[in-house]
Amino acid sequence: MDSIQPPVENYANPRTCLFHVLFKGAALAFYILSALFIDSFVIIFVVTVFLAALDFWVVKNVSGRILVGLRWWNEINEDGESIWKFECLDQESLARMNKKDSWLFWWTLYLTAVAWLFLAIFSLLRFQADYLLVVGVCLTLSIANIVGFTKCRKDAKKQIQQFATQTIASRFTSSLQTAFSVV
Amino acid sequence: MSHEDTIPLHHSSQSDIDEIENLFNAPVHVATVLPAQPPSPPRASIPVSHSSTSLPPYQKVPPSSSPPPVVPAVPVDAAPAGRSRTGVSADAFGSPANTLTEPVWDTVKRDLARIVSNLQLVVFPNPFREDPGRALRDWDLWGPFFFIVFLGLTLSWSASVKKSEVFAVAFAILAAGAIILTTNVLLLGGHIIFFQSLSLLGYCLFPLDVGALVGMLVSNAILKLVVVSITLAWSCWAAYPFMSAAVNPRRKALALYPVFLLYISVGFFIIAID
Repeated sequence: MDSIQPPVENYANPRTCLFHVLFKGAALAFYILSALFIDSFVIIFVVTVFLAALDFWVVKNVSGRILVGLRWWNEINEDGESIWKFECLDQESLARMNKKDSWLFWWTLYLTAVAWLFLAIFSLLRFQADYLLVVGVCLTLSIANIVGFTKCRKDAKKQIQQFATQTIASRFTSSLQTAFSVV
Repeated sequence: MSHEDTIPLHHSSQSDIDEIENLFNAPVHVATVLPAQPPSPPRASIPVSHSSTSLPPYQKVPPSSSPPPVVPAVPVDAAPAGRSRTGVSADAFGSPANTLTEPVWDTVKRDLARIVSNLQLVVFPNPFREDPGRALRDWDLWGPFFFIVFLGLTLSWSASVKKSEVFAVAFAILAAGAIILTTNVLLLGGHIIFFQSLSLLGYCLFPLDVGALVGMLVSNAILKLVVVSITLAWSCWAAYPFMSAAVNPRRKALALYPVFLLYISVGFFIIAID
């Protein structure tokens, strides 16, 4: 994996990266290995779904903020309408984000979803509806995070463009003004 | 209106300054800085809260810069306000650094507090309860998740055979039931948010959890019947105001009947399991 464009710096937030990967890995590992050791479906279900829920929470609340500076959430406003909010840091901070961190963040996010998708296909092929339930829940959580953060990132890019055009426009007008004042 | 959104720095620097002032004036404990305030804290399907220090900026920015009517789809709250704790190292963000280094514990505490408060709002008799339609504003799904899993586990323990199937069926029925009931309300033209309603139906399972626990511990059938009936009535009583407030009065029964049906069938399940 390191041959794929290794970023130069080190991880800026190693503990956050660890937690980001920890619960995902634990959920996947437990689910896969449990078939070998544990008979009770209930335990597999509860532990896997609990780990997946913890992972969702960690990614959404902690590693999203720290590793890539993005956040999304849902609010209910005064009129009782539900609004989804997508948020990113301002441009300077975004530019200063550690590349390795964000590389890890996005790759593990996508890879986990792909892994759960494969497991879903396996359990579908084996006609195991109850295991499909577990995998379905975990897949839903992963996809929710992916969708939320991707929307954040798109909005962040849009803001960068807006900001850039704004800056160019303001610089242009100010240089025009100085030109005219000189004249 | 969107002009203000593209000049983020002024807003954010002003709100940064305010934030720093708040931090210096307030005690160090982040938990106390988080006031009991109207829902600006972010939430999501699994509850989320970010550190409290970013709340003040959100409080200030939305009223001034966001357009008043309901913005559908994706309104970018384009105030990248003073959340830049990770990038801006120069500023004296004392408390945010604390919430970063121990984000888990504080946020966990806050989420637990929210679960407890939601529970009190929904389930327990509360004379100071505000208008039910607005009550579960900061919905979260952790509470419902725990309650459904707990109910499934209790039923599974009570069952002498086919434990796995019992659990899976209980979980699937409750989850699917909550989703279907919410869709029912929405299709009847009711005004309720999807996740808010899911959250509500999940919290109303709490009395049935208690009933199932008692049912598991007690072997006398009559006592079990009585206890489960009482908790069942309690669940229905808890769900009633929210559901009826959400729909047109003429359609109240149409919205409520499936809810009661779900709870009654869960109640029968609890009584009948052995």
